[in-house]
Amino acid sequence: MKFPDTIPIRHIALAFITGLMVLVSLIGGFAAYQTRAVTQSLERQNQAAVRSELTAAVQRLLSRTEEQGANLAYWDETRQQLVLPEYYPYWRDQRVYESGILPGRLVRTALYTRTGTPLEPNPENKPMPDRLPAGISPHQPFSWLAREAATIALYHTFPIYNDEQRQILLGHGLIRLDFMPALLQQDSLHFTDSSSVTLDLKPGEMLLVPDLLSRLNFSARPDPDQLRFQSILSRTLLALFVLLVAASLLGFVVYNRLLVRPLGRLSQDIDAMQHGRFSPHPSRSQAMHISELENIRRSLYDYQLQLRELHGSLEHQNREFHSQARQDALTGCHNRRAYEEDWENFRHELKTSPQGVAFLLFDCDRFKTINDTYGHAKGDRVLSIIADALVMALRANDRLYRLGGDEFATFLSRTTPAQAKQIAQRCQSLLEASSFTDLGISEPVGISIGIAFCAADQLDQVDDLPKQADIAMYTAKQPGRTRIALYGEDTERASQTLVASRETSALFQALATPGMIELHYQSIHSLPGRKVGYYEALARIRYRDSLIMPDAFLPVVSSRRLETEFDLAVLHQVDTDLSSGQVPEGIGVSINLSAQSISRPEIVSFLLELSRHNTLHPLMLEITETSLITQMVEVRTYLDLLRTVNYRIAMDDFGTGYSPLRYLVDLPVDVVKFDISLVNKLGQDDRAGQVVADFARMMSDAGYVLVAEGVETDAVLNKVESLGIAHVQGYLLSMPVPLAELASALSTRDTGLTCSA
Amino acid sequence: MRAYLFCLLLSVFSAAAHAATVEQEMRPGIRASAGYLVGERSKPAVLLLHGFLQTREFPTVATLARGLHDTGYTVLSPTLSLSIPNRTQSLACEAVHKHSLDDDIAEIGRWVNWLKSRGHRSIVLVGHSYGSLQLLAYLSRKPDAAVTGYIGASLVEAQIGTSARPELIAKLEDRIQNRQRALFTHSLSFCRKYPSTPEGLLSYVRWDQARVLAALRQSPVEARLIMGDADTMLGGGWLQALQHVQTPMVVVKGANHFMDGEHEFDLLDHTLNFLATLQQGPSR
Repeated sequence: MKFPDTIPIRHIALAFITGLMVLVSLIGGFAAYQTRAVTQSLERQNQAAVRSELTAAVQRLLSRTEEQGANLAYWDETRQQLVLPEYYPYWRDQRVYESGILPGRLVRTALYTRTGTPLEPNPENKPMPDRLPAGISPHQPFSWLAREAATIALYHTFPIYNDEQRQILLGHGLIRLDFMPALLQQDSLHFTDSSSVTLDLKPGEMLLVPDLLSRLNFSARPDPDQLRFQSILSRTLLALFVLLVAASLLGFVVYNRLLVRPLGRLSQDIDAMQHGRFSPHPSRSQAMHISELENIRRSLYDYQLQLRELHGSLEHQNREFHSQARQDALTGCHNRRAYEEDWENFRHELKTSPQGVAFLLFDCDRFKTINDTYGHAKGDRVLSIIADALVMALRANDRLYRLGGDEFATFLSRTTPAQAKQIAQRCQSLLEASSFTDLGISEPVGISIGIAFCAADQLDQVDDLPKQADIAMYTAKQPGRTRIALYGEDTERASQTLVASRETSALFQALATPGMIELHYQSIHSLPGRKVGYYEALARIRYRDSLIMPDAFLPVVSSRRLETEFDLAVLHQVDTDLSSGQVPEGIGVSINLSAQSISRPEIVSFLLELSRHNTLHPLMLEITETSLITQMVEVRTYLDLLRTVNYRIAMDDFGTGYSPLRYLVDLPVDVVKFDISLVNKLGQDDRAGQVVADFARMMSDAGYVLVAEGVETDAVLNKVESLGIAHVQGYLLSMPVPLAELASALSTRDTGLTCSA
Repeated sequence: MRAYLFCLLLSVFSAAAHAATVEQEMRPGIRASAGYLVGERSKPAVLLLHGFLQTREFPTVATLARGLHDTGYTVLSPTLSLSIPNRTQSLACEAVHKHSLDDDIAEIGRWVNWLKSRGHRSIVLVGHSYGSLQLLAYLSRKPDAAVTGYIGASLVEAQIGTSARPELIAKLEDRIQNRQRALFTHSLSFCRKYPSTPEGLLSYVRWDQARVLAALRQSPVEARLIMGDADTMLGGGWLQALQHVQTPMVVVKGANHFMDGEHEFDLLDHTLNFLATLQQGPSR
């Protein structure tokens, strides 16, 4: 049995009172037991006294009877009757009583001859034995008892002599008396209950005196003192018990009122304090009657007041901390923690209040460039202005969250896609209206907004909203977009790409499984002569006996931010292909890298290792001009390092991306690959074609090796040749082929690509 | 003085040595006893009789017996049986009185004879109260020649209360004649209720004052009376009547019927004086 660690004081009080009552009950029981023992002892003593008293009474009666017999025997007139019995009845019925020898009529006497026969027949109304019992000694007194009808007679016979010398026996005298009345009428019976005295004697039986006492049945007379003693003791015990019960109840009530309740209130107050619930009116209102408890109550009250003040202060501070913890210090809007809490709460709220929900994701365009160009302080100011503009554009109850960097988000309740788009457009409008010239930023600062919407009847998909908005936001960032994309409408293809589990699964499986990324090589020809100088390695994913093309999985790579992992897998495959010997010697390989990968140490490290192939296969790295290079210094440093191991650096898709001139200025670029959009301009005889032609010429003159991509017609090819562009690439000349077909494809062409240092 | 004390002790021892209780069967089944104090052979024997229903242990009688014996007289003090075997106790008034005066006289005669059988030739009868009457009745019936004197102390007649004696006697005689044996209760002497046989009662009732006085006058022996002037048991004029019969009589001043107290010595002295005069007179 395990006892509880703590016991309520009420239980202690109950246990104490119960124990006290049990103790008193035991004492009362012991007292009652002792009283009973004393009573029984008294009863035994009383019984012994009764026995002694009865014994003495019987002895007195017998002695008196014997004395009466002796007196009769000695009496002259008795002797006279035995000699001259003429007036015997007078003597028998009158003289014995007048003389005082016999006390009353209950005692009778008769005289018998020496032979035991009556001196004269006894009267019928006063019967006496017809003969004295046989066998008794004629010279000795003899007593016996006999039941006669309803009475018990005591007989005493005695000899009567003629003289004092007892020489001549004249006859016998017989005294008869009613035994029970004679015994009980004695004044000396103080202890005996006279009504209880009986004698076991059968009719006709002669009971001798020595056996008399053993046949007596008797009981003691109730002792009034003993009864009074028992009554007083019982009443005393009862009164004591009642008094104790009353005292216990009173004590319990007092104990409850003075200790238990105050302690209970104190305990409740302490519990409430422990749980942070402060009663507006703590137990101060009821003063306690126990000074120590009152001191505790006052101390507790004071402590409670102090604690409440402290708690209030802490709550205030907590609110401050909570607010600060949920607020972005830079922009003043809510931070990511607040976003996560609010989004979680909002999701729960949607379960009880279905409604249309739009999730808007904001991302500042080219913020890294701004940050790097104008410094972090101004970048921070840009973010603040953007946040202010967005907050102003949102509805009153909408909250703006900064998720990190230049990324903001909000979710709109009770809205529609059109309203969401409208709000997004208002955001862009207000931001466009914002002036950044005070910061010295003259170029426009814009944001891309991805919108995901979930109707009230599709709330089971609400968890996908952030991901969908992210996809939409990247869609919006695609060149040529309005920078507002609604998931589902504007990202249909991306959605198909991204959401389709096939491509996603294939991509992740390819990243984890070497060999699944298959490189197809498209030749880059030198002009004139169209000799193959390089092959651009173009990645495909072999998945379930089919090829997944880059336009299907690259959005997934971008959206998942898997550029580094993907580029690393491609480099491994390039290493494998080059090591296989299937790439003709002397023919270089151009590798596409994302701008993010250039600044990754593991990429650079692998490129350094891959540079061992440079002796047989000159290697060139193509950096997509549309990629945003945010860490310009680091990228330049790495590119310089790679150039020392004979890598050539090419600017890919020139004319479509960000800050192309700045890249050419800041980065060690060797080759510029004109985007197909620019190449197509060459085929036009308009001003744009002229500008492109002049720009190409100027670039060539500046020492850049130019490559025209996407040449698909002879007209463009001729134009490229006429402009002096050294290299050309496109379906007109060759389609990308797998590695296994590379040798056969090469045999049909001449390799004449000249690489400038 | 020492010699006197020695003689006194010797005499007492001697007297004690001659004290005895004697018994006689007066009637069938009725035995009676007497105290017998042997004195000097030269002095007359005294037959000392107790009063009404008493015994020889009655103080007046017992004291007188010792006094007489102390002075050298032989004293026989019987206890009349009153028809009770070996009577030793005073008989209650209410007891069955089957005795009669004739029985008493007969017993006196037998004791006189007993004294004679013991060699006493001079016997003085001394009675107290009713015993004086019974001895006087004995004297009226041809007493034995050995009887030489009579002393009656506190002599009374048979008093019957306020009843008329003739009527009582007639009633008793009628019962006797009709053989009615039932006990007849009447006042006799100091007994207010005296149950007795008609014959017994009648024997006493006949002894009225006149018969007593006559018996005194006719006494065959020299008689003396010792009376007390404070005796309330006596009838009015009894002492004067006694004086008329010229029987020598000593009236002790202040003595009551029992002559107890200091008058015991008066009784003894007067008795001794009479006995002394008898010795000086004719001897046996």
